[in-house]
Amino acid sequence: MDIRLFQKGFNFSQDGPGNRIVYHLQGCNLACPWCSNPEGLACSGGTTYSVEQLLADAESCRMMFFDGGGVTLTGGEVTMQFAAVSDFLRQLKERGIHTCIETNGLHPRLPELFELVDYLIMDCKHYDPEKHRLITGASNATTFQNIKLAIEAGKHPAVRIPLIGGFNASEEDALGFARLFNEIHLPGNGTLELLTYHEYGKEKYEKCGLPYTMTDEAKISPEMLQRFTAVLHENGIDTIRS
Amino acid sequence: MEIFKNRTPQQLTESAKALYTEERQNKKILNGWFLAKEIAANTTEGLALEEEEKAALELEAIIDQLPLEISENAIFAGTQRDAFAASYALINPAFEVETFRGYCDPLEVYDYATPCGDVTAERISAMRKRAADSEYVKDLTAVYRDCSSYTEEVAFFVEQVTGHLIPDFRRAMKEGVSSLLAEIEEKIPTLDEAHAANLKAMARTLKAAIHLAHRYADIAGENAKTAEGSHKTIFQLIEKTLHHVPEYGARTTYEAMQSYLLLWQVMCLEQAPNPFAFSVGNADRLFEPYRAADGLSREEAAALFANFLVFYNVGERSWAISQNVLVSGRDVDGNDLTCPMTYAILDAYYEMNMPQPILSVKLHKNTPAKLYEEMGRFFFTPGCLTPSIFNDDSLFETLRENGYEQADLPDYSVAGCQEPLIMGKDSGNTTNSWLNLAKILELTLTGGKSLITGQAIGPQTQRSALETLQNLKPLFYENLQFFLDKMVQSANGASIALSHLRVPFLSCFMGGLETAVDCRDPKEQGTKYHGSGCLIHGLSVVSDSFVAVEHLLRERPEDAKNLLSALQANFEGYADLLEFLKSCPKYGNNIPEADNEAVELATRVSTAVKNKKNYLGNPFRPDWATPSTHLLYGYWVGATPDGRSSREMLGYGIDPLYGEASNGLGLRTISTMKLPFQLFNGGVASHFGVDPKYFNAEDYAGKGLQFRDRIINPLFFNPMNNNRAPFYLYVNVTTPETLRKVLAEPKKYAPNGVYIMRIHGTFVNFLDLSPAIQQDIIKRLDPMSTCC
Repeated sequence: MDIRLFQKGFNFSQDGPGNRIVYHLQGCNLACPWCSNPEGLACSGGTTYSVEQLLADAESCRMMFFDGGGVTLTGGEVTMQFAAVSDFLRQLKERGIHTCIETNGLHPRLPELFELVDYLIMDCKHYDPEKHRLITGASNATTFQNIKLAIEAGKHPAVRIPLIGGFNASEEDALGFARLFNEIHLPGNGTLELLTYHEYGKEKYEKCGLPYTMTDEAKISPEMLQRFTAVLHENGIDTIRS
Repeated sequence: MEIFKNRTPQQLTESAKALYTEERQNKKILNGWFLAKEIAANTTEGLALEEEEKAALELEAIIDQLPLEISENAIFAGTQRDAFAASYALINPAFEVETFRGYCDPLEVYDYATPCGDVTAERISAMRKRAADSEYVKDLTAVYRDCSSYTEEVAFFVEQVTGHLIPDFRRAMKEGVSSLLAEIEEKIPTLDEAHAANLKAMARTLKAAIHLAHRYADIAGENAKTAEGSHKTIFQLIEKTLHHVPEYGARTTYEAMQSYLLLWQVMCLEQAPNPFAFSVGNADRLFEPYRAADGLSREEAAALFANFLVFYNVGERSWAISQNVLVSGRDVDGNDLTCPMTYAILDAYYEMNMPQPILSVKLHKNTPAKLYEEMGRFFFTPGCLTPSIFNDDSLFETLRENGYEQADLPDYSVAGCQEPLIMGKDSGNTTNSWLNLAKILELTLTGGKSLITGQAIGPQTQRSALETLQNLKPLFYENLQFFLDKMVQSANGASIALSHLRVPFLSCFMGGLETAVDCRDPKEQGTKYHGSGCLIHGLSVVSDSFVAVEHLLRERPEDAKNLLSALQANFEGYADLLEFLKSCPKYGNNIPEADNEAVELATRVSTAVKNKKNYLGNPFRPDWATPSTHLLYGYWVGATPDGRSSREMLGYGIDPLYGEASNGLGLRTISTMKLPFQLFNGGVASHFGVDPKYFNAEDYAGKGLQFRDRIINPLFFNPMNNNRAPFYLYVNVTTPETLRKVLAEPKKYAPNGVYIMRIHGTFVNFLDLSPAIQQDIIKRLDPMSTCC
């Protein structure tokens, strides 16, 4: 089986614990306008590797998996190449390599990967599936369900909110997220991290021939972050920083 | 200790800062070396003398006649200013890569004598003519003339190596020069005439050092008569001290440092002008016994050492470049040798933050966490000097396998940027030869025609483009042997030419008392270890080119015949081919094909270099370091098959060409670890540009530990690495944006005019650099390779 990548590289403790080789998989089922990897959106393109090639690559990186590190698969959206990803993760686990995926949680078969993943990162961009659909192109009701299932499976998911001004960063939004996470019992069973909007990917849009539609409204001031965090805290939800 | 009865540590540090400011502001003209050359010529011209005796007489005269002074801000007497010309190209803002021709003209230094006062232009011109008549200049000029067709476009380069050694002053500090003189006296009757003459010459120079101390003592005594307050008492202390050291053994830390500096001054005067890159050696171990005996606090020891450090900064740009101070390290059993003096030295460096001397830290797997915590402030304070980092565990093994005795290993130190030598026992001629693999590749591809000038260089062949490409590697290695042979012949010629200028004083501290042989003797080995260095350029460009050519032949054979035309056109009109070449696998990304090619190249070239013998029959030492010469030599290399443009820089040391390791430091680290470090006994250089935002601990100490865990341990002490680990690294922890801001608003970001960065093995004031070197630093911090 083959996996298509658009990027790979190491990173320390930001996408899973310790030092990790991070493979970015080509193709996404959402179209978030703030995405910092627009080159990974299209389902075509990327460089094709067999699972065996990637296993050999991961093996060759083993000496850099310090502090509990290992392999992280991110995107694009990992589950768009579900079968190959499943195969890859299984073989990594068999070799004793720590595994992590970062996913938007939309794939209905995501729970099948739980047993293959040591550290599960799930993005939750909005608490209102309809608002999510309007901006990203798809409802995220399945994401809520999958976070819930991950919690029930004891996966202790690391939930992340990309905080975008004008989309999900108001105090009212904080309240909405708090309600959602309390309903699915995230506190104590998983972690929540806020990733504030940045423009790291802005230049890539031009290279990809895509318009960059984000405006300054998306930016998050320290005060906004502080208020958002405070509302979550008042409602029993603490955040972490990786 | 007496000095602390007069000054607090804080006051001593303030004195050091005042002295440093005075040096930079008031010592803009460096003519002392010129006076020294003139005094030397006046002393021995026309006399029929053996070279050893001649050198001793000249040094005696220089020491006797040079004008001396002691500043009110000084607590130690002495300066090495009179040994240096203001000529080091890279810290000259007027320097342009385009005009660099190396240091081929032994008389060029006279361009840097400044007509001033009674040093007139006529006097300078006359001295230049006298120097031109010397055997040394005549022989060296002949060497350069004979190899000029190879050096003009830098297929290789050679130089006579001055400086670049590590004297062992420990005994002289402890027992005094008088003890050495007594030994010589005893030994002379047991020797033949020639060796006895050598020792007599050495004895004269040791006595000259005592004379220098006494001259300074007299000046201090005179100054004390008119000085007031604590200045008076300091002058009195200097006077008293110099009547004791270096003639007799040092009794305190203060005396030990004063003794050391006087000996250093004599050593440098003996080699004026420009005895670059002598090393202090393992400084903490040198001074710790004295500190411990004095019971000095860390603060007191640091204050003294701050003053010691100022001595190494010469003139307005710290022209005495690449003098190395090392700290920490291990013994043969793996025990850590960090001591209280280590931390005092670090404090002094951090407080002073001067462009010289270079600081290096020797690490090993048992290095205490505290040392990493203390280093954090250096790496994470913007504009602060950063230490070079050495891996003792790896280097011990590499040196041992290359013939060094186990007991000598802890005494390895670093001359110049990164060349490991045993203190007092090892004459390495470290920068004797410089090999440009990328130029040799170019000449292989073209059948011997320069892509830059069209000149015929080296063996001329008439193969078809396709035939050349299909046999590129064998042809390259064949050509390599040709150029290596020429290089070795010239390099040995340069060393033999230099041997006309003997160094009896230095030899006293390089094993000369045991062998009665000068350490520059071209026929008899004066030091326990001996070799000649070869700095090798172009690893990544050449190995990536080999890979690209193989891909081209395999995947686009129809384009292969066009490659040479594309290189000649610097890819203009060949955009499609260029894109293909650039897309081929590149070393530094953990791609087996590309990395294996680099390993093969490094192995074959290192072995070929080691198989060459120097003038004493010792092997050349492969050193994969390119001290900014990756930029200078790249300028003389046309476009290469890896997609690199004509005249673009080569990769630094063993590093990938900037921009080619686009997947971050983790993969670069893995690629690096595949190289055969056991073969790099001459040294190796690698640079990591590190973005500070990846280190999020709350304080410097925490960041220092993160630096250990994320950079050092994976690279140096990785338990899963079965190969010989890398043993050298320097870093710049900053971003291109930050440096651009510093250049745009220097007053805002460097209010005192000093913003320290590393350019290769040395650190420098970023603001003193030529624009080309500034841009080199910025380029090699490209963001794709600075993440962790």
